[in-house]
Amino acid sequence: MTTRRLQQLHPPESAPVETGDGADIEIAATSPNRWEGHVQLDDGRTASFLAHRDGQQVHVWIAGESYVFTPPTPAARARRPGQPASGDIVSPVPGVVMTVLVAADEIVEAGQDLVIIESMKTEHLVKSPRDGTVERVLVQEGEQVERGVVLVVVVGIGEER
Amino acid sequence: MSVFSKVLVANRGEIAVRVLQTLQAMGIATAAVYADPDANAPHVALADEAFPLGGSTAEETYLDRRKIIELALRCGAEAVHPGYGFLAENPAFSKECAEAGLVFIGPSPETIELLGDKIRSKESAIQAGVPVVPSSPVWTPGESQPDDLSSQIGFPLLVKAAAGGGGRGMRIVERVQDLDAALESASREAASAFGDGRVFLERYIPAARHVEFQVLADSSGNTIHLLERECSVQRRYQKVIEETPSPALNDDLRDRMATSAVAMAMSAGYTNAGTVEFLVDAQTGEYYFLEMNARIQVEHPITEETLRLDMVEWQTRIAAGELITLCQEDIRPSGHAVECRIYAEDPYSNFAPATGRLLAWRPPSGMGIRLDSGVAEGQEVSAYYDSMLAKLVAWGPDRQSAIGRMQLALESFPVLGVTTNIPFLIRAIAHPYFRSGEYDTGFIAKYPELTAPPESNHLNLAAAEIAERIWQSAGPVSGSNVSGQAAQGPWRGLSKSTFP
Repeated sequence: MTTRRLQQLHPPESAPVETGDGADIEIAATSPNRWEGHVQLDDGRTASFLAHRDGQQVHVWIAGESYVFTPPTPAARARRPGQPASGDIVSPVPGVVMTVLVAADEIVEAGQDLVIIESMKTEHLVKSPRDGTVERVLVQEGEQVERGVVLVVVVGIGEER
Repeated sequence: MSVFSKVLVANRGEIAVRVLQTLQAMGIATAAVYADPDANAPHVALADEAFPLGGSTAEETYLDRRKIIELALRCGAEAVHPGYGFLAENPAFSKECAEAGLVFIGPSPETIELLGDKIRSKESAIQAGVPVVPSSPVWTPGESQPDDLSSQIGFPLLVKAAAGGGGRGMRIVERVQDLDAALESASREAASAFGDGRVFLERYIPAARHVEFQVLADSSGNTIHLLERECSVQRRYQKVIEETPSPALNDDLRDRMATSAVAMAMSAGYTNAGTVEFLVDAQTGEYYFLEMNARIQVEHPITEETLRLDMVEWQTRIAAGELITLCQEDIRPSGHAVECRIYAEDPYSNFAPATGRLLAWRPPSGMGIRLDSGVAEGQEVSAYYDSMLAKLVAWGPDRQSAIGRMQLALESFPVLGVTTNIPFLIRAIAHPYFRSGEYDTGFIAKYPELTAPPESNHLNLAAAEIAERIWQSAGPVSGSNVSGQAAQGPWRGLSKSTFP
């Protein structure tokens, strides 16, 4: 078993990857940063794949699904894959911050609207997942944000960061 | 009267490519326009001439009426095809084209204005004897609020934008205490998307199906219908999968709805290609007029595949003053067609839009497979425009074979670099509820397994192992350093290796 250096960025991993029984792989570099080949799967089927390395990410298409792998950041190493730090409210989409509806130290309820992001002509309401206090607001109106960027930090009642 | 010598296509993406292809096949010279991020887009390469609009946002490019008309005049175009979205249903643009001596390929400004006003179009439907859904008058939230409207409509209800479309400015409201917030949010979104913040309330019919009829009308008033399209697979009120014929209609219901569609088009004084959308109550079999779209519809290819005709060619001929030579009796469908919209979005994250560079884009091919695409490998998918990348269409002699071909095509369509909804489409197409043909607009919400992240299995294990091998062979350095011998890594001359 190879030691894993990468974590699965997409799709979100439902459970930590376990070791399989192993599979046969046939792989060839077909052009710069591009690999193609076939994998013999545990269930006996053969699946072809297409992979591409792009900087710090490796993208792999196999059997209709596209996976993205990347080395974990030091902060991410400390927690389970796909789990943001507690209290961090992240942008669900890339887009522009239209409205910030809360300020630091404000008390918010679960389900309360925090930020409105416009992306591809659609408004996305970012809501608080919990009752708590706004510790920090990290974005301003008009700011471009990537998906996953922390917008607001909400600390739950009785919680500490 | 002959068709045009040159036409400017005022759009981008797959529909610009689609329109350009037909115009070129008709021997018409073509001109394209493009925003800065689209400089390398396929529609720019395809057109005989292409002109930059200068800028990135839709407002400063594909929505800039003055720039587009100036370019059309300067390049000697006789007509403008607006595609869908952007200026397609903007009566001012249609009017300004006419004033500049350009033919707008679509209906008249008066018709566009009538149909763009949901209230007036509804009145037009009522006059034509077409059944409609109960709704309120329009108003602008914050300025004035009519009393007690919601109690007449009842909950659940829909808040809709008066100028809306594509689900923008639309909200389902279950409880009276949520109404004010929904009104404000819908109005703000509508003002941003359409420059018109007016809204209205409409009864929400759960378990409904969306079925639309294509119509074609010429300037002499000849109006025919080109049968229906079933559009009930939707996410965020936007269509994702369409098929024709609709599994929901029997011959009697189909005939009644088709008659309504033609009556609606005639009542609106419609010319060119248009679509009459209906809501069908799956429980009662009743149908209601929703709206009439004064443009070519995204999902027009499934009609083309079953009727073997070219909608864009008919649009162009009708705009040039030609009469429809098809008779209603000639409209006999052959087989079944399905369309899947390929969106840049994350199906596991509530269909959030995705951006990035298309590292790989390898469309499938095969019997009965058609791809209407507006992107190419290497292209950047930005957040400036709509997230639809392409439409995959499968035709088969019957429903089962069309769906079977679609399934195979979706499973052999590698896309890397930009997250797409293809994994969701594969699940939806294979789902027993879809296969049964009895699905309604609640399909996606009803089956969470359609949008759940995949379980960790032998596939993601294999993918992880492939990624590890690539990473280790190339080293944790910038990808651009990987080439030649280094990229071959440990696999050079190696036919098979076993892992782990």
